[in-house]
Amino acid sequence: MRLTIDGVACEAEAGEFVKAVAERAGITIPSICHHSALPGLAACRLCLVEATPAGKRTEVVTSCVYPVSEGLQVVTMSERIQRLRRTVLKLLICRAPAAEGRLAEYCQEYGVQNNFTPPDPDEKCILCGLCVKACEELGPAAIATVMRGVDKQIQSAFAEAPTDCIGCSSCAKVCPTGKISCTDDGESRVIWGKRFHLEKCPVCGRPFATSEELAWLTHRQVGESLDLTLCPSCRAQQAAKQSVRG
Amino acid sequence: MAEVALRQLLVCCGTGCLANDARAVADALETALQDANLDISVERGSVELKRTGCNGFCERGPIVKIHPDDVSYYRVKPEHAESIVASIGAEPYKPLLFRGDDKQPVTRQVDNPFYAHQTKIALRNIGQIDPLNIDDYLQAGGYLALQKALLMPTDEIIAAVVASGLRGRGGAGFPTGIKWRSANSYPSLPRYVVCNGDEGDPGAFMDRSILEGDPHSVIEGLAIAALAVGAEQGFLYIRDEYGLAVKNVAAALQAAADCGYLGDDICGSGRKLSLEIVRGGGAFVCGESTALMSSIEGYVGEPRAKYIRSVERGLWGQPTVLNNVETLANVPYIITFGGAEYAKVGTAGSKGTKVFSLVGKVKRSGLVEVPMGVTLRSLIYDVGGGIAQDRPFKAIQTGGPSGGCLPESLLDLEVDFESLLEHHAMVGSGGMIVMDDRSCMVEVAHYYVDFLCGESCGKCTPCREGLRHMRDILAGICAGHGQPSDIDELEELAFCLQEAALCALGKTAANPVLSTLRYFREEFEAHLNEQRCPAGVCPSLTVMQVDSEACTACGACFKACPVGAVHQLAAVGAAAAVDEHQAGNDKKADKPRYEVDVMACTACGSCREACRFEAVKAVKKEAVCA
Ligand SMILES: Cc1cc2nc3c(=O)[nH]c(=O)nc-3n(C[C@H](O)[C@H](O)[C@H](O)COP(=O)(O)O)c2cc1C
Ligand code: SF4
Ligand code: SF4
Ligand code: FES
Repeated sequence: MRLTIDGVACEAEAGEFVKAVAERAGITIPSICHHSALPGLAACRLCLVEATPAGKRTEVVTSCVYPVSEGLQVVTMSERIQRLRRTVLKLLICRAPAAEGRLAEYCQEYGVQNNFTPPDPDEKCILCGLCVKACEELGPAAIATVMRGVDKQIQSAFAEAPTDCIGCSSCAKVCPTGKISCTDDGESRVIWGKRFHLEKCPVCGRPFATSEELAWLTHRQVGESLDLTLCPSCRAQQAAKQSVRG
Repeated sequence: MAEVALRQLLVCCGTGCLANDARAVADALETALQDANLDISVERGSVELKRTGCNGFCERGPIVKIHPDDVSYYRVKPEHAESIVASIGAEPYKPLLFRGDDKQPVTRQVDNPFYAHQTKIALRNIGQIDPLNIDDYLQAGGYLALQKALLMPTDEIIAAVVASGLRGRGGAGFPTGIKWRSANSYPSLPRYVVCNGDEGDPGAFMDRSILEGDPHSVIEGLAIAALAVGAEQGFLYIRDEYGLAVKNVAAALQAAADCGYLGDDICGSGRKLSLEIVRGGGAFVCGESTALMSSIEGYVGEPRAKYIRSVERGLWGQPTVLNNVETLANVPYIITFGGAEYAKVGTAGSKGTKVFSLVGKVKRSGLVEVPMGVTLRSLIYDVGGGIAQDRPFKAIQTGGPSGGCLPESLLDLEVDFESLLEHHAMVGSGGMIVMDDRSCMVEVAHYYVDFLCGESCGKCTPCREGLRHMRDILAGICAGHGQPSDIDELEELAFCLQEAALCALGKTAANPVLSTLRYFREEFEAHLNEQRCPAGVCPSLTVMQVDSEACTACGACFKACPVGAVHQLAAVGAAAAVDEHQAGNDKKADKPRYEVDVMACTACGSCREACRFEAVKAVKKEAVCA
């Protein structure tokens, strides 16, 4: 399937999304709620581009979830797109003035100043929903959003620690704003205000997962044939040795 | 089949009339009928009482009609039962007849101006039949369309709907036949049909009315849709608060299945269809197609980002047709009478009729079905009887929370999908709210934006954050501390919502702001530049004042004020200040005077509403509270 992005001819497989194809061609599109391992949420609306499918009208779409099609033409940086991205950035930075990571860089890049009064100057969370999605996809769906509209929140960030949390820290890893604090001290991990014991790998001795996470994985029978007591890298080495031995 | 009664006493038991005690009216009429039975002469024949769905004129309910004589009674109370029964086949009972501005009694429903301008297709049976009795529906020609469709090739069914020009009544106005045709073009099986009965717009109640008053027409329409697209399973997604609708639809589904119109072998054709009710997720946004489908699948009712349409990948990733209640209610009519017949009504681009809920400051409000292309003026003045208390018209808000406000200069606009869209309004849910000169358009914009702030799902940035800022800016303007840059800011946010929001809720959410900015900009500017609310509504900028010249000292304002801010002052100097001649004629002189305490006044406007002499005026707060 062939399409052009900013005039560059690109090849893509059916079912791919524009943003991924653009990145392969070396064209970067700003995004905050996208994670390559998770299904697209299309919540932040930063990755907007103008798309013109063959024979159809031009539309503003989110490239993270916009499927490629034969003859599609994409413009990632028009006047209109820049104007929209500036407003989206302004809305995000006003909501989360304390966000760490790339939001502030984007704001600088687009010359965005926050001239609204932020509801909470210490807020980091932009409500992208990645943490909830990660927890849902990889773990026990321990965190959720509550309320809707302008009052929407990530539940566990504001109420007590989530009871189903297994301390896997997937949420903290995907969070683009540093909102979810997760600290490991070699023996234990603290996340969502909850302390977890860290299990050490019997081979290399490194702490690599919480007891609850291992119990969860065993329970879910994820990778039945794997020795879950080993850390992933030792497990990989062992698997490699085994396959050599045949 | 039971012997057909010669006469019917139709008691409206729609939600509006039930709220006004229609049940007691029906019971009283039943008793009165029994008591009178012996007296009813042969000529007057046997009489059957039916509890029907909503007649649309809820404001004048409970409504009782005598058929076939076509006598309609309004505001009926249980104590009127005997008089009504006595009038059957005799002289109509005058006190309960409709009276318009000319005070002349109107007997027949068709002569009542509220109904005279209506054309009933979607609402054809409502108010005529007992929704809980499938025989009534069958007698009205029900399920003939389904039987006809069973003998038609699918292409022909679809062609009839395409030819009718029917467009979705759920808001977007997508051509129904085209939607069915494209669902049919994807080979993947199974396919599903879904009826959207979520109706989250607080002001609209047409879908509720249809589901309650004529559930079989929706079921039949959905069954025909299923035949057309080859679906064997379907869902009726009904707003959770609609208890009576759920009850009546459930009963109708059972009755239809019992009669063989649903189930494993529809009318012996070998075709299958099972339909089930799903209770709505309890939010406005659940009516949006992807949110609705998530909700049916058991997930949170939040819109999903997708660029593949539901006709290709909807419920559980399968081809799905989603249609609105009113859309489906039109379908049996189209199949029975043909697409061309339906297409005779309406405008070039929008065929058929549309049900509107006409409310607000009109003399007659309710649910009305009018041909597409009717002018706003005709809706407001012919059907609605004009502005309440003959005040000046100011605006009509159309299309539900994310519709727009149209000014007087557009009263002759012919209402259809395109014409409203062109003016930042929409047909949307079919809400029509009429406003008089005492509505502040900035406040109206704020009201809708505030509503949408709570109804947005909160998933995407432009809608969640953009609406919050819009609301805050509008609240600031109403409070008199708006900034000169506010209008530009609102327009920039509106642009972002329209272009960048994920679903249609966000994409249309700026309409209330854009339409008021377009047609009532001077009101924004008065708030911004002069700290003045021209309509005298915004409490931070307004206080009420009694104009002593116009005041007749009737004291209505004094009684109406909920916070006791209207003070009664003793008559001062009586005739002393005026010359003798005037004092002789001027009874006012020795009556008390009324004055509004500007510090206590909340500008609620109750006194102004109460005064019949236009003596209470809204004035700029700053001018009096120096
Ligand atoms: C926020 C939102 C709320 C909606 N609510 C409803 C609703 O309550 N009922 C409805 O039929 N359509 C509603 N719609 C429109 C539906 O998404 C969809 O277009 C419609 O049900 C399709 O049926 P139709 O083609 O027969 O109109 C809503 C759309 C949005 C964006
Ligand atoms: S906590 Fe982080 S990942 Fe979760 S919604 Fe907020 S910003 Fe996104
Ligand atoms: S536009 Fe509003 S309702 Fe629609 S997905 Fe975005 S936040 Fe939710
Ligand atoms: S990355 Fe596409 S919407 Fe956020």
